[in-house]
Amino acid sequence: MSAVQWLEPRSLAEAGEVRAQRGAEATVLAGGSFLGILMNQGFLSPTCLLSLRAVGELRGITVRDGELCLGAMVTHRQVERDETVRRDWPALARAFGIVASPRVRNQATVGGVLADADYASDPPAMLGALGARAVLRGPTGEREVAIDELILGFYQTCIADDELLTEVRVPPAEPGAVYRKFRSRSSEDRPCVAVAAARSGGALRVVVGACAEMPQHYPDICALAAEGPLDGAMAREIARRYAERLQPLTDARGSAGYRRRIVAVEVRRALEELGGVGGETLVRGRQGGTLVRGRRGGTLVRGRRRAGP
Amino acid sequence: MNVALELNGRSVGLECEPDEMLLAVLRREGLRSVRATCGIGVCGACTVLVDGEPVSGCLMLAALSAGRRVTTVEGLSSADPVPRAFVEAHAYQCGWCTPGFILTAKALLADNPDPSEAEIGEALGGNLCRCGSYVEIVAAIRRAAAELAGGALRQ
Ligand SMILES: Cc1cc2nc3c(=O)[nH]c(=O)nc-3n(C[C@H](O)[C@H](O)[C@H](O)COP(=O)(O)OP(=O)(O)OC[C@H]3O[C@@H](n4cnc5c(N)ncnc54)[C@H](O)[C@@H]3O)c2cc1C
Ligand code: FES
Ligand code: FES
Repeated sequence: MSAVQWLEPRSLAEAGEVRAQRGAEATVLAGGSFLGILMNQGFLSPTCLLSLRAVGELRGITVRDGELCLGAMVTHRQVERDETVRRDWPALARAFGIVASPRVRNQATVGGVLADADYASDPPAMLGALGARAVLRGPTGEREVAIDELILGFYQTCIADDELLTEVRVPPAEPGAVYRKFRSRSSEDRPCVAVAAARSGGALRVVVGACAEMPQHYPDICALAAEGPLDGAMAREIARRYAERLQPLTDARGSAGYRRRIVAVEVRRALEELGGVGGETLVRGRQGGTLVRGRRGGTLVRGRRRAGP
Repeated sequence: MNVALELNGRSVGLECEPDEMLLAVLRREGLRSVRATCGIGVCGACTVLVDGEPVSGCLMLAALSAGRRVTTVEGLSSADPVPRAFVEAHAYQCGWCTPGFILTAKALLADNPDPSEAEIGEALGGNLCRCGSYVEIVAAIRRAAAELAGGALRQ
């Protein structure tokens, strides 16, 4: 006789009903990579598991009205390998493809990484910078929430006990987006500092992950970018202000002081990369084998000239 | 509960609890190559292939393998070039990590028959070898790749 009950609905409608009836008493199970650790370490002993594995509607990767729609049960590996995502949302493919090892990415799902709301995850910062929305489905219908409305704090989301996260909708990224993951321990580790930056419709969005309870986005600082070209000086100024504003946490991946310095460097580099995508000239690097240094607008910059998009 | 799946080429029904990990269930079946080590998905000693892709047996609930194809090294043919290359390149000392590396390497080579050293490093980065046989492990994978391609590779 089993102490733990296993529920495996076969459709989204059925899953929604079970979720509404059982609420928090039934633990929602996606890939199980996060729940598995909690169970192995004795932090969680579920009495009832509600598995979404047989819900086919949650497995799609589609484009609707120009937006990328990722089903909650799509794995990180599927996002990383999908031709459409790689072509049209390459920074997103990178953010999912740089998570841990292929083994973890085969198991971890889009819904799971958002619903577990770990502060040191990769995809949430990138999804936030791209202006993505999560679709939450409950007994009275669906609602869409932005990533910064979804994640409320350490391992906390706004998903109600009778709701399921069913899909993530990502607007088109134009003209570009960048994801940078700074790791302080090993290449398979979670980020010490994550920086996602995207421009769409002229507006810049920079989101810093892994440094605080939830991804950090400062619209007033990003608005500076409207005042001039995204050049080296602008990148440096925005990075400086992000590092100044942020209240980083201290953990095994780095102290608050260390993180603050890394944020200043990584935000600057992300913006230099983003500027390069738009055809501006300043990206740190080599040109014809020599490191180029020069002045522009009174600020020392290092860079190479990149071809336009 | 009873979980029906294809295990090393045979259709089986595994008795397990809904909260049991695949690792525990496979070991109970006598498949001792799947090794309980870190229990948090970091080391790769519990690697199994599920539908040909590497997964951590320590974090995957057995119930999630229903209807899928699960492979451990016990299920590889004795003529398989990958384990043979590990022996020939002497790519282990204690051998604890070896099954996990072999399975991860099989998935890599199925995907990319001629991987560069960097690609091997990336694919195997989630497998740890406490004995530090990494150089030989990379050599073993190059050797297996060459054999699978009939010797016509970039090195
Ligand atoms: C070794 C290791 C290394 C890792 N490294 C990284 C890393 O470098 N970067 C990174 O970003 N992440 C990393 N992770 C985290 C990993 O990405 C998460 O564990 C994973 O995304 C969780 O997804 P899952 O499908 O396995 O979720 P599960 O474990 O199944 O669920 C996670 C949580 O979300 C809830 N849930 C899941 N789906 C839904 C849904 N549709 N609706 C409502 N609630 C839901 C569950 O109830 C549970 O609380 C790592 C994990 C491991 C094990
Ligand atoms: S025991 Fe599963 S990854 Fe270490
Ligand atoms: S050979 Fe001993 S751990 Fe790899």
